[in-house]
Amino acid sequence: MIQLNNIEKYYANKGVKNYVLRLVTTTIKQGEFVSIMGPSGAGKSTLLNIIGMLEEPTYGTYEFMGEDVTSLNERKRIELYRNHIGFVFQAYHLIDEMTVYENIEAPLLYKKVGSSERASRIADLLDRFNIVAKKDLFPNQLSGGQQQLVGIARALAAQPSIILADEPTGNLQSAQAEEIMELFKKLNQEDGITIIQVTHSEKNAQYGNRILHIADGVVKEDVTVA
Amino acid sequence: MFRLNLKIAWRNLWKNKGYTLINILGLSVGMASCILIFIFIRFQLSFDEGYKNAGRIYRVVTDWKYNAFDDFSAGVPIPFTAAARNEIAGIEKIGAIAKLDDIIHIKDNTGREILKSQENVYFAEPDFFDIININWKYGKPAEALKAPNSVALSEAMAIKYFGSVQNAIGKSITMGTKTQLSVTGIFQDMPQNSSFPLKIVIAYQNLYNYYGNRDCWDCINSSLSSYMLLKEGLTRSDLDGAMAKFNKKYYADKKIEGNQVNRLQPLSEIHFDERYDNFANATIAKGQIYGLAIIGLFLICTACINFINLNTAQAVNRSKEVGVRKVMGGKRKQLIVQFLTETVVLVLIALLIACMISELAIPAMQNLFKNQISFSLFGHPVIFVFMVLLVAFVGFLAGFYPAMIISGFNPALAIKNKVTLNNNGLSLRKILVVVQFAITVILIIGTIVIVNQMDYLQQKPLGFNSSTVVMVGMPGDQVSKDRRSIFKERILKIPGVQLLSYCQSPPLSQDINSTNFTFNGTKNKDFEVRTCKTDENYFKLFDLKIIAGKVFMKSDTANGYVVNETFLKKVGITKPENALGKMINATGINIPIVGVVKDYNDKSLKEKISGLAISADKNQYWQAAIKLEGKQLVSSMNQIETLWNITFPNNIYHADFVDDRIKGYYESEHIMGILFKVFASVIIFISFIGLFGLISFVAMQRTREVAIRKVLGASTLQLVKMLNGSFLIMVFIANIVAWPMAYLFVSKWLSGFAYRIDLSLWPFVLAMLISMLITFITVSFRSYKAANANTIDVLKYE
Repeated sequence: MIQLNNIEKYYANKGVKNYVLRLVTTTIKQGEFVSIMGPSGAGKSTLLNIIGMLEEPTYGTYEFMGEDVTSLNERKRIELYRNHIGFVFQAYHLIDEMTVYENIEAPLLYKKVGSSERASRIADLLDRFNIVAKKDLFPNQLSGGQQQLVGIARALAAQPSIILADEPTGNLQSAQAEEIMELFKKLNQEDGITIIQVTHSEKNAQYGNRILHIADGVVKEDVTVA
Repeated sequence: MFRLNLKIAWRNLWKNKGYTLINILGLSVGMASCILIFIFIRFQLSFDEGYKNAGRIYRVVTDWKYNAFDDFSAGVPIPFTAAARNEIAGIEKIGAIAKLDDIIHIKDNTGREILKSQENVYFAEPDFFDIININWKYGKPAEALKAPNSVALSEAMAIKYFGSVQNAIGKSITMGTKTQLSVTGIFQDMPQNSSFPLKIVIAYQNLYNYYGNRDCWDCINSSLSSYMLLKEGLTRSDLDGAMAKFNKKYYADKKIEGNQVNRLQPLSEIHFDERYDNFANATIAKGQIYGLAIIGLFLICTACINFINLNTAQAVNRSKEVGVRKVMGGKRKQLIVQFLTETVVLVLIALLIACMISELAIPAMQNLFKNQISFSLFGHPVIFVFMVLLVAFVGFLAGFYPAMIISGFNPALAIKNKVTLNNNGLSLRKILVVVQFAITVILIIGTIVIVNQMDYLQQKPLGFNSSTVVMVGMPGDQVSKDRRSIFKERILKIPGVQLLSYCQSPPLSQDINSTNFTFNGTKNKDFEVRTCKTDENYFKLFDLKIIAGKVFMKSDTANGYVVNETFLKKVGITKPENALGKMINATGINIPIVGVVKDYNDKSLKEKISGLAISADKNQYWQAAIKLEGKQLVSSMNQIETLWNITFPNNIYHADFVDDRIKGYYESEHIMGILFKVFASVIIFISFIGLFGLISFVAMQRTREVAIRKVLGASTLQLVKMLNGSFLIMVFIANIVAWPMAYLFVSKWLSGFAYRIDLSLWPFVLAMLISMLITFITVSFRSYKAANANTIDVLKYE
């Protein structure tokens, strides 16, 4: 599904190249649950951003679902966001001015999903995540874990084939974190959604089936979890 | 999607209540000003619209070109219309119309007088109404105005005089002392935006009772005018040849003075050409209209600048939302639409408030124009169109740039709140603040100069003393004239009355009679002498100083001239004494100069003193100047009125103080002064609340920096200075930018006055001080609060 070839990313500063990523080559197949691990500043987030097409690599090629997306125009990129990619953030990034319901609805509106279809999908998600009672609350009325549930529900609303999560549990207490990770595992196993997460926690990484260890911009290890 | 956008817009506006309030206040005040200006401009531009064939209707005017000056009149010679009808090809219809004022008496069935009023009456040929098509309720102009002594009334006049339109028909009214007119037609009331405020229209033949000489080609009175409708398909230039031939035949070949010519003026220019009078006494130069429009644009632009500044400043706060929306698949276009929706919601709220403000301000505006014009917010559908356009314009102007900026954030950075706006160097926000304050400063300077000039006009010594002098109109009919001496005798017995002089006009007057003349046998070609007819008491009454010779002897006709110094200067006499005994011939007879009067201002201070010759002529005294004692003004005035009404029972008493009349000559400047004060206040208000918003934001953004600096030992004063600095510099730069433009504007305006204040540096400096001081207060208020905030509270939550 994802094919990265010799991806490099550096920032040139006064003629000196500061490498963030060096020669990253990897393939991620449909249905995998990949955790990217590594110390601070190793380039985990940059790699995820490149996969999410939020940043462009300085060098190398990137194929997403068989298509070269190394540098993509905005229109095409947005098409991919609407149909294939869902994002989950460490700080949830719900829109403060919108209720839970509206937050989940937003991507569907951008995708131009009909209103009845929209209503049923949202109802389904609210139900599945047990947040029906909270649908009219605003994000600041929810706990962190609840906010992240809404964030995931929002990411799933457009029925993506892949979810990119940047430290999804970084701001959460361990109990809530576990709950979220269980959810990811379930989504991966039952719905076959490809998941790529960046994490610090060895424990969280165990929920997935593959771990990429990154240090100083280089993939040091690529292990499969039993 | 749209409904959701609205909802989000509303929540966002509510969340930032403070900034929303500032934006709405600024926008609504700016929009209200724009709406009021638009209502006024629309009213002015709508003059004389909607007549059938309007494009082919012309007024005939008369122009002169003397060596030293040009002169213009809205009138034509009396024989013009008849001659043009026969001789100029291409005219479909031509009709003469004249305006006079006279007293109208209405009697009831028993012959008892029930109503007496002084009215403007018009004498029109029936053909005039084939050119200016108005709706006749009763009768047709062709018949109604055919016979002498027939009169047509407007509906309102018919109702005023006879109670109803039906009652009026066939009734008779008396004009002056003896002319009996019978009502033969009723026409619609003329709208306020018409240069033809016709109320009483009389058959044209009756005019000849007033003007004896029907064959005079160089007697032009601006109230005798002529209108023509050109044949279909013709324009003014098609008649050039015919007009040239006509002008040659009647003026050049007859050797009439001043290269007199007739010229066609389109109907659409009548209201806008200030050189020519019109029946409504209302002209406004297009330049003034454009000036107002520009001020309106200024006001709305400053309000928009507030909006742009506050919104781009706040943009950072919304970067997260933008990032999230983008990775959810929101296109930039959709985000722009969302932010524009927010702006439009805000603008619509502002519009509602603007409508309320306008509605409240309309009475004041009508008051400003002496209630002669009635304005209404919903008086015309065009006003709605304007409001819609205004919302679109403001929404776009104010909303587009912030929307572009905010929607353009890179999602990867935006999500991490790492967006940085260009805060250093020459950011657009700084430029906008400078522009905004430059406009403000221009208006402040303009206001200071205008107010000063108006004060100067009011305080400048005019060379005569007119305090407590009242001018009372005198009827011109023979019976009344014969009673003048007895009237004077009785008036002088009223306690508080000091002196009375019969005269044509007070010393300073815009009713100008001027004529060419020969001086000591040689024809003068350089200027026309202004003539003024008064009796011998005039000089003492107005305290005019005779510097050589003496006042002419008491007489009914001219027996000697008193001229002013300017006259002497113009004819080249340096010593006043040398002028005595020299002959002036302005009336066909040589009359000697007997005295020289010290110069006084005989026209408004917009103009220079004219060469003046004062003499007696009993037949031309239209008024009595009465000097009163200050203490018992009211009782004296009442007694004068009573006596007047007893002496001249058929006429209407009219009196006003000379000083009030002089003030009236500066009416338009007075209005301009008030408008400038209002607009300057509005713009100051808008600019400074904008500034307040901006400093609030900056202070909030820099709270952490401020706290850290405090921990490092900065004093509150140092912090306030740090926060204030950039704002004071911006306002200072704005002042420098504004000065040249303000200078151009005020010096141009002042050049319209012959007597004016010297333009010194201090209005500019004062404007700078005012703007800097208000800036300082506004900004310090907020920055002090920020600098004084509790350090721990701030740092704890970072």
